Amino acid sequence: MNISFRTRAVALVLAGLGAVLATAQEPDTALRFPLLLSDFTAPAIDRGLRDNDPPREPRRESTARIVRDEPFERGSIIVKFRAGTPAAARRAMLAQVDGFTTQALPYASFDIVAIDPAADPEAAARRLDAQPDVDYAQARYRISPMFTPNDPFYSRQWNYPAIDMERAWDINPGAAPGITVAVLDSGVAYRSGLFRYNARAFGIANGPMFPALGAVDIPFAAAPELGGPERFVSPRNFIWNDTNPLDLDGHGTHVAGTIGQLTNNSVGVAGMAFNVRIMPVKVIDTFWDIIFGSPFRGTDDVVARGVRYAVDNGAKVLNMSIGRTGPPAPVMQEAIQYAVAQGAFVVAAAGNEFLDGNSTPRPADIAPLVDGMVAVAAIGRDRVRARYSSTGSFVELAAPGGDTSRGGTEAGILQQTFATEFTETFLQGPSRYTAPRFDVFAYEFFQGTSMAAPHVAGFAALLMQQGITSPAAIEAMMKRYATDLGPEGRDNEYGYGLINPRAALRGMGLMR
Amino acid sequence: MSGCSTPCDGPRRHGDTEKIRSCLRASVTPWLVGVAVAAIFSAFARPASAQGRDIGFRGFADVGSTTFAATQSFEAILGSATGVVFGGGGEVVLPKNIFVNVRASRFRKSGERVFVSGGERFGLGIPTTVTVTPLELTGGYRLERGWPVVPYGGGGIGRHQYEEVSDFAETSENVDVSFTGYHVLGGAEFRVSRWLAAAGEVQWATVPDALGDDENGVSQMFNESDLGGLTFRVKVVIGR
Repeated sequence: MNISFRTRAVALVLAGLGAVLATAQEPDTALRFPLLLSDFTAPAIDRGLRDNDPPREPRRESTARIVRDEPFERGSIIVKFRAGTPAAARRAMLAQVDGFTTQALPYASFDIVAIDPAADPEAAARRLDAQPDVDYAQARYRISPMFTPNDPFYSRQWNYPAIDMERAWDINPGAAPGITVAVLDSGVAYRSGLFRYNARAFGIANGPMFPALGAVDIPFAAAPELGGPERFVSPRNFIWNDTNPLDLDGHGTHVAGTIGQLTNNSVGVAGMAFNVRIMPVKVIDTFWDIIFGSPFRGTDDVVARGVRYAVDNGAKVLNMSIGRTGPPAPVMQEAIQYAVAQGAFVVAAAGNEFLDGNSTPRPADIAPLVDGMVAVAAIGRDRVRARYSSTGSFVELAAPGGDTSRGGTEAGILQQTFATEFTETFLQGPSRYTAPRFDVFAYEFFQGTSMAAPHVAGFAALLMQQGITSPAAIEAMMKRYATDLGPEGRDNEYGYGLINPRAALRGMGLMR
Repeated sequence: MSGCSTPCDGPRRHGDTEKIRSCLRASVTPWLVGVAVAAIFSAFARPASAQGRDIGFRGFADVGSTTFAATQSFEAILGSATGVVFGGGGEVVLPKNIFVNVRASRFRKSGERVFVSGGERFGLGIPTTVTVTPLELTGGYRLERGWPVVPYGGGGIGRHQYEEVSDFAETSENVDVSFTGYHVLGGAEFRVSRWLAAAGEVQWATVPDALGDDENGVSQMFNESDLGGLTFRVKVVIGR
């Protein structure tokens, strides 16, 4: 494909003009799709290293919101009542916003309150939040992945030498299966199967309409370099409300690769903690989820439930390469505090909004409030803050996230994920638009704080395996041994500095 | 006070107790050493006719238990601040019951590297071995009154070699340094036969400003700098 056309097309689609669904959501669709046709498909296809692809911008919130131009879901809000509030009092309060509680959801400490779809959910939430018997109330803000793809082999992975990982692996070679890292993301390419979806028509604002493809059979394969079925535990999909957190994007698979890509196996690339188990928890929706009509969107409450689910099912480290800007997210804060209280360490991407107003990212802003959670900024190959990496008092650590503006495509972070030409078929225009396939893989360079965060999640897994079981101690250790970058001491660009896994894993002696 | 310069001067706050103790140790010990050395010289200055016995040469070996002053640091890394010390040396007993001895000893114990946060210690499973090898010169006085047990006391100066070796360390990350320390001791010797005696001895040593300089050391976190400690030992002495 012509590169300039591709770039323009990506920009157009990602700019949010893109996807205007031709029809409203069809509630019954979720009941029929996705339909598992077969557990088995042809083996995954490896398209190799993609180092000649042009650099692509990191995904920002504004570019990731493809279907709706509002940052929240209409028709419902999140409310948490104080314990002991009588049902009658709850009803009276909800009557003020013409709302009613929907059915209780698992892994939720809050209620989803249905309101008039025409009403302003932010205003309704503000009104309830002011009530004395309400802990918090907020709109259901949508969460986005924090990165972007590019294209791949260890010698191309500058990110590991940049944080002295080779010597760190001498001390702790990739943690152990006893540690589970939850990837709260767009899903993970963790299994194979043939699934039937219903692809609805959609259009690009001021652009072409894309036809409905109807029922389409989509092949999926497990990413070969993430390992076999034994590698994955308790998969869960909060977007499709099932136990198949299939990645329809590639973001989560790339992130999972940096955390735990098979390493030292003479194939492909390396991961930080290559012996851990991975828990795929799908909490954000991407293009195809929307086109296929997923019943849920990646909103604050969905993410909060995903956090609780992950911890309740044994995850010790949670990676959240996701986020949004806008008002605070008490529902996520409460879930994260719960996670840390249960002994899990939480990592959040600091956001890619620096060039787009540098708004405060959620949930990264929560990190300074919680000992046991860190917000991670991105550096490029030159150890300088990536141009997109958000800055602010919430930034606590920095890790390699890539910056292709300084060094081209190979200055991104290399991992195995889907070959994008088979997933982003809408970039080829309506005439060549086809159903995607998620069984073709390549080694792709991505950049973003999404790519930085999993370095820290893998690092946390190594520390846990090494004996640091307290999330607060892990955070303290990471900060203590961070390599100071930028102005001396903590600063808003790098936090306490670039992670230094080797120094931290070695810890303290008596004298030295 | 000599040896108590800038770090100990100025307003003293609650919590500075350890620093003050360290200053006192540093300032008192040279006096003790001085007294011991003066005693030796005064003995030599006396007329030969006034001396109580001939010069005797003895060798000794000892085993004991040392509890290091840097209690928290040693406990964090080695699991205990106390460990076995083996030693030995030679001694000259001069006229007028003055003695001078040279003693070498060694403490060696293995533990693991750690991280300490919020008062909690996390072992990292990385083996670490600490070796302390003091070489000490002691002068003192033996209270020989014809009793079956001879009390004695003295003080001196020492050079304390400190080694710390860990797995996965680069050469520069291991430690091999030496520090000057001071000590006082006292004991009682029981003669078993003409050429053989046994003794019990207690020694207090200070090795100021040895630990606590490096941010990768728990000693800095615990604000412990003294490599000295209290040692109880039993000795076997061969010679008159």
